[in-house]
Amino acid sequence: MVVTRMGDGSFITMTEEEVQRDVEEGMADAVKKGKVEPLGQDEIEHIVEICCRPQKFVSVEKGNELVLTYDSGTLKVTRLGIPIGMPQILQLYERAFSADSLELAYVHYSFKPIKMIVPEEQYAVAETSLVTTAPLLYGAMPNLPLYTQPDGPCPNAAELLPAGKIEEARRGQEEAAEYAIKDMVYVSSGVYEAGADGIDFDTTAAAGDAEFYATLKATEQLKAKYPEMAIEIGMAGEFVLGFHGQLEYDGVRLAGLYPHKQVKLAEKAGANVFGAVVNTNSSRTFPWNLGRAITFCKACTEAAEIPVHANVGMGVGGVPMVMTPPIDCVSRVSTAMAEVVKLDGL
Amino acid sequence: MDKQELINKIIESVIGGDESEAEALAKLALDQSFDPLEIINEGYVTGIKQVGDMFESGELFLPELIQSAGAVKKSTALLNDAIKGDTKKDKGKVVIATVEGDMHDIGKAIVSSLMVANGFEVLDLGRDVPIMDIITRAEEFGAQVIGTSALLTTTMVKQQELEKTLRKEGLRDKYKTIVGGAPVTVRWAEKIGADAFAENAGEGVNKIIDLIGG
Repeated sequence: MVVTRMGDGSFITMTEEEVQRDVEEGMADAVKKGKVEPLGQDEIEHIVEICCRPQKFVSVEKGNELVLTYDSGTLKVTRLGIPIGMPQILQLYERAFSADSLELAYVHYSFKPIKMIVPEEQYAVAETSLVTTAPLLYGAMPNLPLYTQPDGPCPNAAELLPAGKIEEARRGQEEAAEYAIKDMVYVSSGVYEAGADGIDFDTTAAAGDAEFYATLKATEQLKAKYPEMAIEIGMAGEFVLGFHGQLEYDGVRLAGLYPHKQVKLAEKAGANVFGAVVNTNSSRTFPWNLGRAITFCKACTEAAEIPVHANVGMGVGGVPMVMTPPIDCVSRVSTAMAEVVKLDGL
Repeated sequence: MDKQELINKIIESVIGGDESEAEALAKLALDQSFDPLEIINEGYVTGIKQVGDMFESGELFLPELIQSAGAVKKSTALLNDAIKGDTKKDKGKVVIATVEGDMHDIGKAIVSSLMVANGFEVLDLGRDVPIMDIITRAEEFGAQVIGTSALLTTTMVKQQELEKTLRKEGLRDKYKTIVGGAPVTVRWAEKIGADAFAENAGEGVNKIIDLIGG
């Protein structure tokens, strides 16, 4: 019997045949929803083999290692209650955790509150760049809802839509997107000029298509202003929610896009790295979720002309939805992403 | 226009979210003395089910869903008025909220809209709602179902608090409870004693229909 987990992290046992069935069913779900190509039989068998290995921690063969990037890096250590400054945290990431890029981030992790403290963040960026050598990104979320009532000036679509006020809801989102673009460009310019190598727009499109639109436009404007700036666009979920429903970028309707289509617009806007996300279904097994995540990420990688770094963490990429992602699953997802998808990074 | 042609046009108007056309067709159905219940079930309900399927598969989105729901609501109100006595059937009353401490209400807004589209009377309390407020408003509204959403592992415990408070107040048997949200699972629902778990908006509607026979 194979000891594995459900998507909520609880342990279960399955036979190898059941593991294979679930990997195939997860794949079929991705094929149906994303209209992407299915995996080949050898790829399915490879995923099953990774799931069925008896070791708690599994890894890749030598030569198949991936670039490792970390989002919201400085927040994750301070959350543990360790009294340590941001430059020192990033030195730990670089020298102890084998990170290939570093991300400096403020605790609010949203562009709107950060615009008030850009000079302080510039100081932290400058200080960190003096003591580290890996590429230094500054990361934050577009977080469109902060621009809508009661947290901001724009009408709140989540209240207007259920009341049937569709046009007002759409206008509110468009207005919020314009505010978000301004803040993203302002903050990103400030930290880039202080020495950051680039920007990570993290958890993009969490509030739907208007937020994705704002991110793409901000990316476009920043690349026009600073052609050498590195920009990573990391998604919030596998699917762009059509909360507006009519917004387009480069003639493509944003609502309803899956990773393999999202990445093409990220490229067009000027992004250098795309962070694909596939949501974990907590009611399904780990093999089901892994089969599904690999199918989406493979389609994304095949469509992409820029590097794709899949999100592998709590509740994404096939990793169960638990506070501390279990290493047996994280290592299996990472191995499958490297060996089956031939991904560029994690 | 024969009945089948009318039903097809109704389905088309619902999918297109054309409120005035849907309403005009309801009036036409009444003028031609077609059975209002049959027109509701075969036309408007079939149409909104197709809209729900298209929403689930990402072919149409929340604003379109709401337009379709609006078209169904107005038209079926007209037809409902023409249904006599005990054949008239209300789907049920649902109170829905995102629990206290949780600011995420996009998913809950989708669930709420789809329930309205399917004929439920829904009282949407919004986000960050204390448990006692949910219970008080459910009592005032005469709800049969209380639905709660939690998007954070730190706020899902409020769903458990709802179950405990309902039991403490002696109200648990009065309501059916349903829970949802990204970290919420069927196991969580079982653990806290909720009546049902829904993974998405469409499942939420079906589970509530199962719970109260709406």
